[in-house]
Amino acid sequence: MKYHLITLGCQMNMSDSERVRTVIESQTGYQWTDNEDEANMLGILACSVRQKAIDKVYSRIQKWNKWKNQKSLVTFISGCILPNDMEKFLKLFDIVFRMSELEKLPEMIKQYGVVTPASLFNDLRGMPGNDSIENFWKVTPHYSSDFEAFVPIQNGCDKFCTYCAVPYTRGREVSRPSAEIMAEVERLVNQGYRSITLLGQNVNSYGLDKKGEEVSFPELLRKIGEFGNLSHREFWLYFTSPHPRDMTDEVIEVISEYKCLAKQIHLPIQSGDDKVLIRMNRKHTVEKYRQIVDTIWRLIPQATVFTDIIVGFTGETDEQFQNTRKIMDEFKYNMAYIAQYSPRPGATSSRWADDVPKEVKSARFHQLSEDLRKHTAVHNRKLIGKTVQVLVTGKDRKNGFLSALTEGKIVCRFASENTALIGDFVDLKITSSTDFSVEGDLVMAEVQAS
Amino acid sequence: MINKMTETMTKPVTVQGVRHLTDSTYVLRFDRNGRKFRAGQHVILGIKDENNAREYSVYSAEGDDFFEVLIKEVLEGDVSKRLKKLRPGSELQMDGPMGFFTMGQETIEAGKVMLIATGTGIAPFRSFVRSNPQLDYHVLHGVRYGNESYDQAEYDSARFTLCTSGDETGNFTGRVTDYLRSHEMDGATQYFLCGNVKMIHEAFDILKNKGVPEDHMHAEVYF
Repeated sequence: MKYHLITLGCQMNMSDSERVRTVIESQTGYQWTDNEDEANMLGILACSVRQKAIDKVYSRIQKWNKWKNQKSLVTFISGCILPNDMEKFLKLFDIVFRMSELEKLPEMIKQYGVVTPASLFNDLRGMPGNDSIENFWKVTPHYSSDFEAFVPIQNGCDKFCTYCAVPYTRGREVSRPSAEIMAEVERLVNQGYRSITLLGQNVNSYGLDKKGEEVSFPELLRKIGEFGNLSHREFWLYFTSPHPRDMTDEVIEVISEYKCLAKQIHLPIQSGDDKVLIRMNRKHTVEKYRQIVDTIWRLIPQATVFTDIIVGFTGETDEQFQNTRKIMDEFKYNMAYIAQYSPRPGATSSRWADDVPKEVKSARFHQLSEDLRKHTAVHNRKLIGKTVQVLVTGKDRKNGFLSALTEGKIVCRFASENTALIGDFVDLKITSSTDFSVEGDLVMAEVQAS
Repeated sequence: MINKMTETMTKPVTVQGVRHLTDSTYVLRFDRNGRKFRAGQHVILGIKDENNAREYSVYSAEGDDFFEVLIKEVLEGDVSKRLKKLRPGSELQMDGPMGFFTMGQETIEAGKVMLIATGTGIAPFRSFVRSNPQLDYHVLHGVRYGNESYDQAEYDSARFTLCTSGDETGNFTGRVTDYLRSHEMDGATQYFLCGNVKMIHEAFDILKNKGVPEDHMHAEVYF
């Protein structure tokens, strides 16, 4: 029995899929296959952030349901799904479950249809006992890498940005117990993981839902920092994504104090215009954002700052877009993920006219990308001649080269065919730069005991 | 397995009653069931066993043992029409309360606030005022006609300015933005804006031009 799982969307879904794989493989007897067409069970972790992702689900299930005429096949779906799509999926998929119901998936599979080989498999070892997201987090994930991992610390969102459907698909913010987070981080570090990313829709709102019964986000970071100091192991700890509204000076102070807390901060701004921010229901102003970036630059001058920006949001005028260009010039981001606005069904803004013409969105996207490129080129040029520590992440597209990331997540490549370096820290002397990456020579490979 | 996605986030609550303020605007009261709440927050309401739901600011006070929301029936809408027809004892689905359009304790105790609303955007402000008797406030409520001044009698008349743009029954004839343009604005006051986005954007510019710092402006857009 083989299964294949398609994961769409963000790192949160990727992280969720690692737990789904653990449950399927340990409790149903199904084994993973990379080939969709040889699977006896097919699943999707859906994403509702863009209509395109939902369209993919419909296209896939139509194909799979046709395959059912030729072979016995079980299909399932979970992930971020809006209520209206959920109703439709109930008719199209054999099994539809919430992520918090993951523990019940083996039972659902066994009960589906007539007797399948899975019906004979009855191993419930290590499974949590009830239906909640807290129990989902207790599942040990089937990590997809042996040197970088995502650790969910929170699920859901209370912010209700008008362009986003997540509050309607994942529900309210729930923080994972810090003891569990620490246990997972410690286990990963002790196993030799080099890059760990704490995940949450609003990661710095961590603990707020527990009303004082759980540590705050900076306190959690401090605990990890202390562990990092005591562990004598080298790793970089990241988090994504924080919301400017809940970003405190304390978070930045803690990052500055501990070596293992990576000096890279992804701080989505979405727009550089206060009125657009109001329309987006972001609940922060450009000035509030400016204060945060100023604090980052003051306390961690070497930090790289990344952001997310939406151009062509409903009602965005030329003047408002120019304000976004101004902040791009002011904050000189090391990287910005720029998206052209598209209505996301289920999000509040999908009820408004998508009134910025496609060609205007496209022009703004290219203009802002060009503005970004100028800044990243300058940042990257400054690295030439410097020796920087990098984490080797894999083979590069360029033959005979390996890819790597700096602590600030700047993309690097260097000439080497020694794939044993993948997953290790090495030093590179940077020799050249492009707009979005740098190239260097290997100084020495640092081989640490894992 | 899921039957209705709404089950993941919402809880059923029982309707206590509907109070009609105009032909199209009404107050829906329902059980609070002990839920914590801060004035200015909103809830998501939907019809039981259905997926359609909408956000509504809470109209009642923090101390009330029920929740109320102020709803204007939307002609082409679905939820607002159906909520209006609910009878005492009916069940509806509620998620929340949630949201960040709230007032800090310092502002409540020592600050001066101007509460600027259009239409049903007055809902969170009624909750602010009823929850905090000591609040040093002034309400600026913009409506088309005077009969849309919802529960005006509950406010101190010296602290309430009704702006009417469709008749002359208000304290000020014109839009709230006309009022803001024609009056001095104190830079030390905290300004809370709630209602349609056009008013909020205009008011934002007017206040900014009059020297009000951006961090003294707090907005909740109604959609």
